[in-house]
Amino acid sequence: MKRIIAQAIKELKQVTRDRLTLALALVLPLILLVLYGKVISFTVTGLPLVIRDYDQTPRSRQYVETLMASGSYKLVEAAPDEKPETLLAKEQARIVVIIPPQFERDLERGRKAEVQWVIDATDSNTATTLRGQAAALTEAFLREHGLKGAEIAPVIKAETRIWFNPGGDSDKYIGPGAMAVVLALFPPLLAALAMSRETEQKTILQVYVSSISAHEYLLGKTLAFFILAVAEWALIVLLGMWLFGIHFVASPIPFLVGTVVYLFCCVAFGVMTGASIRDQASTIQAIAMVCFLFSFLLSGFMFPISNIPASIRWISNFVPARYFIEITRDAFVRGGGWPAVWPSHVALLVLGTLFLFVAWRKMRNMQLED
Amino acid sequence: MNTLMETAPNTFLPNEIKVSWNTPAADQPDIAIRIAGLRKSYGTIQAVRGVDLEIPKGELFGLIGPDGSGKTSIFQILGGVMQATSGETTVFGQNARDARSSIGYLTQSFSLYQDMSVEENLLYVGMLRKLSKREIAERGGRYLKMFDMDRFTDRLAGKLSGGMKQKLALVCALIAEPKVLLLDEPTTGVDPVSRREFWDTLAHLSGTGMTIVVATPYLDEAERCQRVALMHDGLIRQIGSPAEIRNGLGLHRLELRTSDLGQAEDLLQSGREIVDVQRFGDRLDVMVRDTAKGEAEARQTLTTAGLETREITVGEPTLENAFVSILRELNGEQRIPAFPSRREPFSPSRAGIAIGANGLHKRFGAFHAVNDVNLEVKYGEIYGLLGANGAGKTTTIKILCGLLAPSSGAIELAGAQGSLRSSQVRQKIGYMSQKFSLYDDLTINANLDFFAGVYQVPTELREERKRWVLEFSGLEGKGDILTSSLPGGWKQRVAFGAAIMHEPQVLFLDEPTSGVDPLARRAFWKMINQLADRGVAILVTTHYLEEAEQCNRLGLMVAGKLVAQGTPTNIKAAQPGQLLELIVSQPQQAANLLKLEMEPWRVSLFGDRLHVIVESDAETGIRQIIQQLKQHNLQVLKAQPERFSLEDVFIAVVEQVRKKGLRTED
Repeated sequence: MKRIIAQAIKELKQVTRDRLTLALALVLPLILLVLYGKVISFTVTGLPLVIRDYDQTPRSRQYVETLMASGSYKLVEAAPDEKPETLLAKEQARIVVIIPPQFERDLERGRKAEVQWVIDATDSNTATTLRGQAAALTEAFLREHGLKGAEIAPVIKAETRIWFNPGGDSDKYIGPGAMAVVLALFPPLLAALAMSRETEQKTILQVYVSSISAHEYLLGKTLAFFILAVAEWALIVLLGMWLFGIHFVASPIPFLVGTVVYLFCCVAFGVMTGASIRDQASTIQAIAMVCFLFSFLLSGFMFPISNIPASIRWISNFVPARYFIEITRDAFVRGGGWPAVWPSHVALLVLGTLFLFVAWRKMRNMQLED
Repeated sequence: MNTLMETAPNTFLPNEIKVSWNTPAADQPDIAIRIAGLRKSYGTIQAVRGVDLEIPKGELFGLIGPDGSGKTSIFQILGGVMQATSGETTVFGQNARDARSSIGYLTQSFSLYQDMSVEENLLYVGMLRKLSKREIAERGGRYLKMFDMDRFTDRLAGKLSGGMKQKLALVCALIAEPKVLLLDEPTTGVDPVSRREFWDTLAHLSGTGMTIVVATPYLDEAERCQRVALMHDGLIRQIGSPAEIRNGLGLHRLELRTSDLGQAEDLLQSGREIVDVQRFGDRLDVMVRDTAKGEAEARQTLTTAGLETREITVGEPTLENAFVSILRELNGEQRIPAFPSRREPFSPSRAGIAIGANGLHKRFGAFHAVNDVNLEVKYGEIYGLLGANGAGKTTTIKILCGLLAPSSGAIELAGAQGSLRSSQVRQKIGYMSQKFSLYDDLTINANLDFFAGVYQVPTELREERKRWVLEFSGLEGKGDILTSSLPGGWKQRVAFGAAIMHEPQVLFLDEPTSGVDPLARRAFWKMINQLADRGVAILVTTHYLEEAEQCNRLGLMVAGKLVAQGTPTNIKAAQPGQLLELIVSQPQQAANLLKLEMEPWRVSLFGDRLHVIVESDAETGIRQIIQQLKQHNLQVLKAQPERFSLEDVFIAVVEQVRKKGLRTED
């Protein structure tokens, strides 16, 4: 135990010695968090929209007003002879709304009127959202101006009610995930570099000639970088809560326990990577690749895991961020508490132990490899 | 010389040396290290091919051999950090791996944490060795004081000079008070003054009963071991005391001075009585079986060719002579291919000044790195710049080749004055430093293509030049292997070849042979001489003073000043005082005693012999020493005056300057 602590103290000393690395370790995650939070957003705002109003009546102008009141669009002027397809192709507009002549007259007479939305679906996510908005806004326009025609009651009506995030605020979705993804990158990176640096600079020989055992050495490293990870975590959570306007919706205990197992798991992954790779440059690449990309793509942060094809989906079971995202979303959005999240805690603990075990297998001889 | 046999490494031993091979381990408590039938393979490469060795307690044992001969593998197995393929390695009867607590291991790279302070390094290593904080503080303090480093406990290891890093690494290895100390090339990149201090310390530790095994590429250092083993290709080829190995050759050395060394070397190469010729800066070393016959033949050969024989003196062969001769028999002489030059033949009489410096100064803030340096190097001349770490050699070189602007002073380089960075001037100069290396992740060919491109070697000459570099490096047909897979010495050769591919007229070499084995060094110097014969001006720095003998002229730098200049012979002759070699009954005790009586740098221990520099003439000096030692019941068995080695001169000069209060090291 004494040697584990002494090993950890030495690691922390080395980290704090290099002010630049330390600053980067603490500041870079925050920058990344802000970027994630502010750049990634599913809310549609300010999309360029061109109106082709061939009716030019008060009603048609009311329709346009309703659209603009949503705040999702930015009205763009375009030459009247440009075809809608051309406007989309030249990226002058993402949507062209065409209001046919006699729009007002058809409405007044209770006849069916058609408004055409031409949507650029290059970005299919946004297009889907826009399609929904088109229907919703038109519905709102009709209701607002008392133009609802006689409704035929359907046999079954799907009443939807949005739970947990009624405003559809994507900050509440992205925020907790972003914290997990940022923490998936930096703590393992520092731990892995500290491991491979010893091999690269041959200081590992100093360790091998002594009688320190592999588990003492590895646990010492893990402990040091776990402590550093906690510091990073505290900064990230504070900034994240403020930035995304989120707060605990249930007891924070599962979240705090989850944090401990998650950070342990991430650092253990770093230690394992650093034990297997001999130079720092490759280590950076491996960690950036695995921790960053996998946590980004396969953790359910951006894309629901159920949407990932089964042939790749199994990988997500080994991505620690996946479990922590469950835990954070529960703590900040759902509020299900222990009954909802305990399997994630167990999974993280198992994964972390597995990573450390692999590192130990690699190092247990404490000897040079041929 | 028919005694070298691969399978039985002890057949070469003189009869009176009794080394017991393969005896049981238990009944000899005074054996510290026992290696039996040791083999180590890496894939298909056999690094160690069956080594048997016993080292008694308290011995200072040297392991010498060319790069890649298996020395480091043996150290790693002895240190318990690597598994042997087969064979037995025991330290005090215990398996090497289980005996780690009684072993101190100083690796080639020193294994220091550069970003931690001296104290923190010690604390961590002490902790790894399960020492208490009190023990770490007490022992650390004691050893740091012993090495005169107790002022630097707060300094980061990365900010220490080479010599101090090495001492710190030694303290780290000593802190567990090991019974066996393993040192793998501990003095590479360390200047002569620090090196001598280091070896004095080793001699002292060995005197206290510590068993020390040390590998070194420097054979003048190996002379200070009690026994040495010469390794080659994974086997011990010869083992014995330095004297036995030197004499075991059955050869004698003639030092020959003549008017044209290059021509004389070629002529004598083919002599019947002559076994080997080595060229130095102002002399040839001719190895002969019989002194009289050899001398007669040499004189006759030279006279027939119309060369004047200025002086022939008879000396004993050095360890380096022995090493080279033995390896030559094993390997065959390596041919040094002539450089495919496109220049006119060079005549020394027309030589002008290639490098000139007048009143050169360089200040970095308050630090006066170069202080009034004046020097001149002619075309066809090899000029050696010597000095301790931090004496200003590298700064001087950088200024002379135009990489750094001087604070004041005039420079002339390859006919240009003032702007030294024009592409015409740069085209005429070549620069290679110890740190200059190739791109590890490119193949050798790709590296050579790159440098040929950078130095604008004419396209039609490139293939020829590349072929020459490969041939010079002994890598014909292997141009497609990755540079990272080459051992250090070979890489250095390729780097050297790459630096001269564009046939520069002025060549700067900053420690070109650091860490290179004696055979490769020899190849380097043959090439350097060849280039000088073609009229290239060469300025070279080195820590290795045997090597400095190869230069035509030398400059000694101390604390930014050029304190002495001249040919090696002149510099040695100008040194006041007298060097004495003593054989005494208890060398270690005698050395300790004499160090109290006179300035410590004047005394050093070389294995069983003592070197003392006295101010008076030889006779008075010997008489005084005999008396001083007699008072303490120590007996002088043999005493004789010796010629100064360049290293003795260097250390004396540095010490004298230091006494005057010039700063040499930070």
